[in-house]
Amino acid sequence: MQRDLRLDNVGRRYGLRGPWVLRGIHLTVPPGALIRIEGPNGTGKSTLLRLLARIDAPSEGRVSGAPRTAYVPERFPTALPFTALGYLTHLGTVHGLSRPAATRAALEWLDRFGAAAYARTPMAQLSKGSSQKVAVAQALLADPELLVLDEAWTGLDADARAELERAVAERTAAGTAVVFVDHDPRRLAGARDATYTVHDGGLNRRTEQTASPHNGPHTTVVVQGRSGATLPAEALRIATGADETAPGTHRLTVPASHSDVVLRALLTTRPPWHVVSVSRETPVPFEAEAESRR
Amino acid sequence: MTSMRALLRYQAALLARSQRWLPPFILYAAFLAVGVQSGQPVLDSLGYAAAALLPVAAWLVRICVSNEPPAARSCVSAAVGPGRAHLAALLVALAAAAALGTAAIVVVTLISDPVGADHQARVPRLPAGAAGLLAALACALLGTAVGALTAWPVLRSTGRAVPAMLLAALLSVVVTGSPAQAAVSGLVTGSRSGTVPMPVLPLAAAALLTAAATAAACALTSRRST
Repeated sequence: MQRDLRLDNVGRRYGLRGPWVLRGIHLTVPPGALIRIEGPNGTGKSTLLRLLARIDAPSEGRVSGAPRTAYVPERFPTALPFTALGYLTHLGTVHGLSRPAATRAALEWLDRFGAAAYARTPMAQLSKGSSQKVAVAQALLADPELLVLDEAWTGLDADARAELERAVAERTAAGTAVVFVDHDPRRLAGARDATYTVHDGGLNRRTEQTASPHNGPHTTVVVQGRSGATLPAEALRIATGADETAPGTHRLTVPASHSDVVLRALLTTRPPWHVVSVSRETPVPFEAEAESRR
Repeated sequence: MTSMRALLRYQAALLARSQRWLPPFILYAAFLAVGVQSGQPVLDSLGYAAAALLPVAAWLVRICVSNEPPAARSCVSAAVGPGRAHLAALLVALAAAAALGTAAIVVVTLISDPVGADHQARVPRLPAGAAGLLAALACALLGTAVGALTAWPVLRSTGRAVPAMLLAALLSVVVTGSPAQAAVSGLVTGSRSGTVPMPVLPLAAAALLTAAATAAACALTSRRST
């Protein structure tokens, strides 16, 4: 089965004579890609995501490829007659898991997002933030091949936001393509493969300066190996900076959301690298910038 | 397929837990309480029970199709495709209508007199019940078709959809040429002549029409906004 999702000259409008929301869109989403879609409100970002998730069909053009897809909507309703765990178990089986596996995965993801206490709470009694956690857990349950996130971070608390970034990093490292819209320009900065702007119904690829230290929090990892050994390709791909400080000792700068993925790559390669230190560095200019924005 | 089974279970749980199935079930029970009494000729009562099932099936479809908030429907649609998600909702509504109809047919068959309309000719209970079941299934199927064609995504505004559903349900019961009308009038005529008709042809026609209506509604799901 073709796992690349492709939009060829795709357009979408509502109704037979409605104005075009999107037109002439060409986009390829290969496995493992992390793609951000941005643009002002009401320009068709959500429409584009719905086309990618194949919830909506294009009015013209062609969408091809059929990855197993999970979608997180902008606002998730609580008007469902289930408990959080009950809903997630149903969705897990809909995503193709067996019932026991779905329950297990549901509990694990609720726990990761700090919502384990709400597993048996009826959805109708969940807060907005907790129901958003259920929406996100629903999408991550069954290790999808394509993950479409429409403002999935909105409404989550800080811990859950960071956990979702790490989950996205894990998924992309495992080959899941992730396409997301988020109002925070720093979201997964430094780790994105491409950023597109929706403008006048069209899509423009934006070039970004990935190596800029202003691009969100980073983690510095110092590792030691045989002198002359090359670092795992995955670690190098993710790292925004790498230098050999002494023979066999390397210092890697990686987006904070991806530190676990890099460490896993370093520790599971044969022979494994020795981790000397891991430290979180938050560039001062970025903090000052964030402060001034508030 | 496993995902279809999971979808059906999810939709069935949505319907069962929402309790929105109660009003149509109560309405149907009231219909029967008014129109069917013990000791009446069996085929007449079966015809009445079958005909009344049609609008109930259409209503159940309306409930199942609108049971899921749009955002939750989008999550399921992304996983299995919007057409399959819609198909599951329609099938659950049909199954609920068929189960309700079967229960009603069994009760009506047992409490009615096994006689023709003249209270003279013998009408055997078991074949009469089987004929009633076929007619009820034909009505459940056609009601599902009516519901599918008068709910989202075919008709989106409630103001037009509900009158359209009621009118279409009424016409499906009374207009000559409709499989439901054929099945029901077959029972009524059979009661007069004291013979049990087997409405196999109307059932087949209803199944075909419903399959076409279902396919059309499912194909539209990805083209319409919510």
